[in-house]
Amino acid sequence: MSSSHNPYMPSLVKIIDIIEETGDTKTIKLIFVDEQTQKNFSFKPGQFNMLTVLGVGEAPLSISSAPGEGDYFSHTIRRVGNVTGAITRLNVGDTFGARGPYGNGWPLDKIKGRDILIVAGGIGLAPLRSVIYYIKENRDNYGKVEILYGARTPKDCLYRREFDEWREIPNTRLLLTVDNVPEGTKWEHDVGVVTLLFDKISLNPSETAVLMCGPEIMMKFAVHNLLEMGFKDKDIYLSMERRMNCGISKCGLCQIGPKFVCQDGPVFSYYELRNLTEKIF
Amino acid sequence: MPLKNKEVSLLLEKSRLLSQSSMNDFIRNLSASYEVYAPIKKGKQIVFEKVENPGEIVWDYETTQISPKKFLHKPFEKLFSFEDGGKIISENEEIAEKKQILLGLHPCDVRAVEILDKVFSKRYEDPYYLKRRKNSIIIALTCNDAHETCYCTSFSTGPRIDRGYDILITPLVDNFLVEIGSPRGEEILNQYGEALSTDSSILMEYHRLKNAKLEVIENKIKNKMNTENLPELLEQNVNHPLWDNLKEECLACGSCTIVCPTCYCFTIVDKVDLTLKSGQRQRVWDSCMLLEFAEVALGVNFRRERAARIKQRIYHKLYSFEHQFYIRGCVGCGRCIRYCIKKIDPREIIAEIRREPIEQQS
Repeated sequence: MSSSHNPYMPSLVKIIDIIEETGDTKTIKLIFVDEQTQKNFSFKPGQFNMLTVLGVGEAPLSISSAPGEGDYFSHTIRRVGNVTGAITRLNVGDTFGARGPYGNGWPLDKIKGRDILIVAGGIGLAPLRSVIYYIKENRDNYGKVEILYGARTPKDCLYRREFDEWREIPNTRLLLTVDNVPEGTKWEHDVGVVTLLFDKISLNPSETAVLMCGPEIMMKFAVHNLLEMGFKDKDIYLSMERRMNCGISKCGLCQIGPKFVCQDGPVFSYYELRNLTEKIF
Repeated sequence: MPLKNKEVSLLLEKSRLLSQSSMNDFIRNLSASYEVYAPIKKGKQIVFEKVENPGEIVWDYETTQISPKKFLHKPFEKLFSFEDGGKIISENEEIAEKKQILLGLHPCDVRAVEILDKVFSKRYEDPYYLKRRKNSIIIALTCNDAHETCYCTSFSTGPRIDRGYDILITPLVDNFLVEIGSPRGEEILNQYGEALSTDSSILMEYHRLKNAKLEVIENKIKNKMNTENLPELLEQNVNHPLWDNLKEECLACGSCTIVCPTCYCFTIVDKVDLTLKSGQRQRVWDSCMLLEFAEVALGVNFRRERAARIKQRIYHKLYSFEHQFYIRGCVGCGRCIRYCIKKIDPREIIAEIRREPIEQQS
């Protein structure tokens, strides 16, 4: 983008497909209406866009598609606020605004050659879905992959129809758990918080990079357990959530200590986070 | 240290003397081409407002409540407007043309602008701030006095100033010593102002008077902040018991951040008109002292504890700014102390930490 471009101005995006994930969550596939903008739009797994519904507001949302997935990008959106509420009411063909991508994304170049442990909770799987397909496309660049995912109930699991495809990625395991299983629901996996799956991790801590996203309370316990298991704080990468209004390190809302989550993050190693002046966990 | 000859001639080259009436003419002439904002009396307060008549300007004011940052980073700023159908119809154009003169800024406020310049130009350029900044001429004013809450000397942001202004005015005796700080300053002075014809010995005498005045002010500032190794000190005292004690004092009203000349955090909101379809996107000053500042969806709040918010303000100013913008975030203007209902004083916070720092684990 040219230097004269106003970074606060969203561009128009059009919904080309909607996938109902759960009762309150949808994945929407988008393209920029302006062809040139769409052509120029490139992103890395773990980056986010600011999505806009004029008159309602703007919110930061992770990109859930992988860069090589197609000539579109997708967001998996849980209806939790005004903007996400407004977007999830739209239909295929409708338009709204987006600007981005912002943030550093996952350190996928830095962790080349390593085994990968993915730990996700709830909607936190969205920015990691992008990683899963990225690894699939670049399978030789990474070692073994284990994906640990926890959701509230079986019905709250995102991307259920894609799980078989993930299991078929060579050298990849998918382990699932839910907080509780309502009566009459079929569930063949674990029950309990995501850290209960840690006993099943077969990766060697010294050869593994951990990519994690989920509620902060989940990440707190997960990081604690991983450290006890011998994973290094420099190898544990977390995607952090903070309030953001600009995405370009101007509004000041997203700071953790001296870090702007929108630009310095949203992905940080736990080593970086634990040494900040503002304590996370 | 006495000035060398070359320095003297350079100083004199950039100096003019204006009488009271020629200063008034200068300001009147400027008002014809620019919006001129300066400290004027409004009720019991001195505030920066548009000057209608040069006689209104209060040359010996102490400090204003709201800093002149309000003319560069507005409390409410339209980013763009939109209409039915979700179409963006216009960017904020008014800022492109409006030329303004910010007159009468004390050195601390001038140096605060330098800090905001860094905030709004690093990585992504903020077009709103930077357009305004480009169209703003800064005419600084040497302080008349120092007050109990002044601690600019702790940050070398006053009362002496060597950059950041287009023109610097020092009222002395019956005249104004005027110093040029930029080509733009020189241009408007030559175009709109008429200097007294003086020989260099008279100008030199005015510089001596100015220097004597600055020395008096500097000596009056006794209550300073010890800024030696300040970031390191703060880094090591994140868990100092003082933070928890402060939360019993602080009312979390946000006054300190509103009056601070370097606080810039903002929220972006959409304001819709009665049709609920057209409206504008605005940014509005926000404050890290307020509960909602760090709140996200589903009521999760990353700084629910008041102590965490107090720490955020102090750490951002005195620690984080150095990491983020390679500059300290405080200019020692003292507004946060002056307008704090509980008179919470950053100088005292730092002094208390220094009295009993947390023992470092080896």
